[in-house]
Amino acid sequence: MGCCWGSCKEDSASQGGDASERTHLLVDPVSNNTPAQRANSDDFISRYPNSVPKKTDEQSALSRILQETATNVIDVAALDSHNLEQHEYKERTKQYQQRLMQGSGQRWNLSSPSLLVDIPMPEKVLAALPLSYADMDLISTTVLHANMALDELKVEHKEDLVVPFRIP
Amino acid sequence: MAEEMKKYLKQLLSKVDNLLCILITDRDGVPILKAVNEKCPELAMRPNFLTTFAMATDQSSKLGQGRNKTIICMYSSYQVIQMNKLPLILNFVATADCNTGHILSLEPLIEPLLGGLKGAVIES
Repeated sequence: MGCCWGSCKEDSASQGGDASERTHLLVDPVSNNTPAQRANSDDFISRYPNSVPKKTDEQSALSRILQETATNVIDVAALDSHNLEQHEYKERTKQYQQRLMQGSGQRWNLSSPSLLVDIPMPEKVLAALPLSYADMDLISTTVLHANMALDELKVEHKEDLVVPFRIP
Repeated sequence: MAEEMKKYLKQLLSKVDNLLCILITDRDGVPILKAVNEKCPELAMRPNFLTTFAMATDQSSKLGQGRNKTIICMYSSYQVIQMNKLPLILNFVATADCNTGHILSLEPLIEPLLGGLKGAVIES
């Protein structure tokens, strides 16, 4: 009933030309669909036997369904591998070898799994100035202070841990 | 370049104990690149054995669990692991007691090779 009322309401709204909160943004898919678009629905055909869709549309829809079903079905009996002929196999192997030899500009880059990387001039890196004592001192005192601060962290609970809700 | 690739594949083969062969083929089972141990069974490298994977992976992708990526077959004496890298297929043959996880971990190491090999494949 609710659905009926809704559609009546919509009709009156669309007749009046006013858009309200009950106006559907999308056009009603059932009432406005042409029979050709619904050709794949058995339900529709049984309800409207006289309005037969166009032959070509029906054919294409049927063939589409058939194709979709064929791709989705796992037909074990039809799984017949097409084996290559011996000469075809040899020919193709030879072809692959040739293509690999040519390389044809293909590159394969191996990302090196090692973390250590070669440095062209190690003397420079090794001869760099060491960290100054002042900096080291600063780092160690800061870390010390941070550690002390962390140790002194305490939770002070002032309220009860379990609070009864006053539900009337 | 082919020699470099073969050498790299050989290296990978020797990394895993009891791995007998790494075979990169097209979907008809024609080998493109391989590294084979002398103990590898000849039957496991025949194209009509390898090509069944191409069909099996296609069909098992219809089971509603997404695209099939790898099929592992355990036999009493050998294990065969095949990976879907279409148009290429990555085949590993190992003895039954070989560490399967170890073989699977070779995949990212072989991946860089495949990009170059895909160009060489004849689409049938």
